[in-house]
Amino acid sequence: MEWIQFGVSAAFLFSGLFMFITAAIGVNRFRRALNRIHAAALGDTLGILFMILGLVIWNGFGFASLKLLLVVLFFWIASPVAGHMISRLEVTTDKDLGEIEVKRLESGQDEMPLTENRKTEERS
Amino acid sequence: MSRLKNNYENSRFHRFEAWMAGDTDILKGKLEIRRPEEPEEQEIELDETKINAAVYDMVHNRELRAFRILYRLASVILCLTLIAVLLWTVVYLPKFGEPDNPINNEVSARYIEKGVEETGATNFVTGMILDYRAFDTFGESCVLFIAATCVQVLLRLDDSGSREKQKKKRAEENDRIYEPKNDLILQKVSCVLVPLLFIFGIYIILNGHLSPGGGFSGGAVIGSGLILYLNAFGFKKTERFFTDRTFRRITLAALTFYCLAKSYSFFTGANHLESGIPLGTPGAILSSGLILPLNICVGLVVACTMYAFYTLFRKGGM
Repeated sequence: MEWIQFGVSAAFLFSGLFMFITAAIGVNRFRRALNRIHAAALGDTLGILFMILGLVIWNGFGFASLKLLLVVLFFWIASPVAGHMISRLEVTTDKDLGEIEVKRLESGQDEMPLTENRKTEERS
Repeated sequence: MSRLKNNYENSRFHRFEAWMAGDTDILKGKLEIRRPEEPEEQEIELDETKINAAVYDMVHNRELRAFRILYRLASVILCLTLIAVLLWTVVYLPKFGEPDNPINNEVSARYIEKGVEETGATNFVTGMILDYRAFDTFGESCVLFIAATCVQVLLRLDDSGSREKQKKKRAEENDRIYEPKNDLILQKVSCVLVPLLFIFGIYIILNGHLSPGGGFSGGAVIGSGLILYLNAFGFKKTERFFTDRTFRRITLAALTFYCLAKSYSFFTGANHLESGIPLGTPGAILSSGLILPLNICVGLVVACTMYAFYTLFRKGGM
């Protein structure tokens, strides 16, 4: 039983390691920022899930492993949003995005329509 | 009454007094005075390569070129020497985990043996930094406060000049128009995450004497929650509850309370008096005397400082 537990957790850890290495290679190999964000997201979502599942299985289920799963949940909520914000900044600032088509308004504006909040912020 | 005042204003003494104070201009109407016109601001183009070429005449100046080469060589050699010296020292360090290492002296033995009994905190580290070495932690909190104040002095918004000029200057400096604003995804996610972050930070601070954590880490978590909220909803929303004044009040109150409370406890302890602060049962949340309130103070200072740094570097004010 112990050996099965060890084997399963090791398999999870190695697949997580594989995801992270792929992400690192992608971040270093891709040329454009958007592609790099895409590559980095791989490690932040699937890689961290594999890693922490491996640790949970190794540790056995308990209060500590619940906390680890909460870490996964936090990462799944926070990391895609961070990637989204960075990519949005990249789209609004980079003038040469290559073959990616982006619908742009006049310079200095976001591609999103102005909301009420934004208008009041600009007026002040 | 008015007549009297009128009389007084015309009196010789009052005019003399005003002349002494510099309120009246004695040359008024007697000299032709023209204000000097303000010179128009010329835009100077800065071409870095040209400036560099003019300053460092690399083509003709042999000496300078030699100096550059020497400089680079010297920097590489210095780095290598430093690495070698540090690695050489690592060899002579005592082995990790040996019982007769110099760190295993009577101080740490005392912390481990009598720490729970004397401080009432089951977390040794918190008991150490907030009880035995509380003044050290006080200094650290003060360093944070001083750093925030210095940044405020250095990065303060320039309020001089007319309003129009200021507006123009702001518009020139404003490169934040490219920043993504009012992102719906970020707003929804921060609606979920910010309360959780606050609760987690408060949990870390309040459990500082029971489990790993304490004022510094919990304060950092709360500060990051504040920064996330600011990023999602903008300055308009955060200025409702957190301005320059709240920052000053919270940090000053926390630091003053820390100073007074710990001075009292050190004073009574040094004079062998009863401090009257109950230690409680170790392990309960309301225990270990002053450590819990001091943790709260440190957490407040750290959270405010983190948020203040962020806002100061982003727009130069809170």
